[in-house]
Amino acid sequence: MTTVASAEPRAGGPDERAGAQERARGVRFVPGQPDMWVFVLFEALVFTSYFTVYVIRRTQSPDLFLQSQAHLDLRVGVFNTLVLLVSSWAVARCVQAAREGSFSAALNNAYLTMLFGFVFLVSKVLEWATEIEQGFGFTTDEFFSFYYFLTAIHFLHLLIGFVVLGVAVYEIRSPARRSQELVETCATYWHTIDFFWVLIFALLYVMR
Amino acid sequence: MRRADGELILLWTLPVLGLIWLSAFLLFPGFVQPMSPAMSAEEVAAFYRDPENLARIRYSMILFNWFAVGLIPILALIVLQIRRMAHRTPIFSYAIIACAAGGPTIFLMANLFWLLAAFRPERDPQQTLMFNDLAWVTFSSQVGFLIAQSVILALAIYLDRHERPVFRPWVAHFNLVVAVLLIPAAFVGLAMEGPIAWDGLLSFWVRNIAIGLWIVVMGLVLAQAITRQRAEDEAMAT
Amino acid sequence: MSAATVRAVPEMPSGSLIRKIAWHWRHDDKRELWIGWWTLVIFYNLYGLLFFLIARTQPPPPPSLAPSEIVQWFDDRHYGLLYGYAFVSIVGGATAIMNATLAYTMRRMSVSRAFAYSYLVIYALATLPGMLIMGVACTVGAMRPDRDPELMSWLYDFAFLSFEGTMGVFLIGSLVWMVAVLLDENRVFPKWFGYLNLCNALTEVVVAPAWIFKRGVFAWDGAIAWWINMAVFVTYTTVFLTLLRKMIVREDFGSGPLPELESDHALEPAGALGAAR
Repeated sequence: MTTVASAEPRAGGPDERAGAQERARGVRFVPGQPDMWVFVLFEALVFTSYFTVYVIRRTQSPDLFLQSQAHLDLRVGVFNTLVLLVSSWAVARCVQAAREGSFSAALNNAYLTMLFGFVFLVSKVLEWATEIEQGFGFTTDEFFSFYYFLTAIHFLHLLIGFVVLGVAVYEIRSPARRSQELVETCATYWHTIDFFWVLIFALLYVMR
Repeated sequence: MRRADGELILLWTLPVLGLIWLSAFLLFPGFVQPMSPAMSAEEVAAFYRDPENLARIRYSMILFNWFAVGLIPILALIVLQIRRMAHRTPIFSYAIIACAAGGPTIFLMANLFWLLAAFRPERDPQQTLMFNDLAWVTFSSQVGFLIAQSVILALAIYLDRHERPVFRPWVAHFNLVVAVLLIPAAFVGLAMEGPIAWDGLLSFWVRNIAIGLWIVVMGLVLAQAITRQRAEDEAMAT
Repeated sequence: MSAATVRAVPEMPSGSLIRKIAWHWRHDDKRELWIGWWTLVIFYNLYGLLFFLIARTQPPPPPSLAPSEIVQWFDDRHYGLLYGYAFVSIVGGATAIMNATLAYTMRRMSVSRAFAYSYLVIYALATLPGMLIMGVACTVGAMRPDRDPELMSWLYDFAFLSFEGTMGVFLIGSLVWMVAVLLDENRVFPKWFGYLNLCNALTEVVVAPAWIFKRGVFAWDGAIAWWINMAVFVTYTTVFLTLLRKMIVREDFGSGPLPELESDHALEPAGALGAAR
């Protein structure tokens, strides 16, 4: 009785039923919930519109943007980007481990993802603090308004990412749950946040 | 066994509330002879600065502030009666809860503006005029939740498919009439004198009498329904 | 099927709209839900008409106008504002039924009723700072064209900042609905709608700079704080109206999972669906 129960995924959960049905039919459109992909696409649209507004405003006052941009520390930007990329790698390994059934490895990778995410958060806050101390705040000029806005919105998404990772950890920890689909869904969200950061980094730090 | 303790106490707060509101209404020097929107800034400032008025304004408005939300327990009792009706969903009772959250708060806001106007009467008359305008417009024109309350109650009663409905159909008709009577007051911004102005026949007298009537009638009807409900509860218990 | 549907119901008559509506009024079990849905649809249309075409306060004017320009702005819209907001005041209470209907969707879910009550109260009180205060401020501004321009400027700020800057209610309210949808096992709404609630909640964060900037893309009339936010909000509203309609059609007044529609048959293996029916 008990061995059967621990081997089977949580009964009754709708995601699990849908996931089981999908696997039974051998059809997998996307990793994780298709719903998460709807969200990802919608957020991508919204972020793209923000980026577009940024680019348009930039072409209208190129000198101002160029000058202000010089005050950003490119090294910190690169460091932050690398940290997030590594965190994405960790969450991908987590999904892989969960798929193979090595749940303690999956758990460790999930915690590793959180760790790198946390490093990013700390680094970002320190970077903001430095810039504010140097006199570059939200209202300093238009470039910095965009800078703080985009990085803050991203920061907020990252905070949400911790909640999402928390859900993944919660799933992985208990044998009664462990929905592969849900873990993949969480990973999808995390990768998307990483992807947005790369774009933000390119626009704010690199593009001249 | 339904927990009905305290409902009669809440019900009896209604006549007490009515007395307090009526007293405050009579105490405020700008209601019995309603202030005209056509008054100039200097006239309005003089009204608030007049030592005979100022104390009455402040104390009546403090009284209103204390008891502005006094109607909410009555609305809650009405919600409970709606729940007894033969509906398929709790949507109507939820809607009255929403009205209970919105309506009295609007009255409280108007009250705040009057108190503000009276706090520093030595202020620039233009500022006193503005606070006075804000108070009157909020008080008179924001009839939305009152209309909704009546319309929703009427709908709930019409759709109550009981052999012996909780409220009889005339209560629904009455509520619709009240809702219609409240409509003209929404247009106070359009006139400085005449029936639509905030001191006029429609926007002041008809509006406030309709509200007063609603409180009295619904209070009586509610008392009847609750008494009947308690009798039924007791019959079931024995 | 539940025993309640055994009651004999006369056929819906063909013919005029009035007769059909009368039939629904008398016999349709779901009439309360349809009253709720139609109230939502009609209200949002009226809202668009009143704010965009009559009062013309949306799209919003710039916060950077000088007091004399603001006086001119009120003057240009004198009757539009007064009539428009009179009507907003009359129909504004419809939000009570609207929010009651949306709260009901949460009651139908497998989650605690706390979600329904939270949503109901949050959105009920949201109408005051989020819509009605603008009506009061614009009416007071428009009714005395000769008012001190500095005070007109204050009323202008009062109107637009309350309307657009009231964030917390919609932020928390959307998050409440999001959590309810994501936890729900009755399949009332698809999970992606839960995530869309997050997008709507985020628009309330994005609008925050409107309290700081008087020009540019982050001002209350800006490309980011208004235009993009409005696009998200309109999408969100259209989506939930559509999903709500579907939910009402599927509604079985039970407390378990809502049955899927025939056209969504492809989502479930035939065996399970047959057993549920």
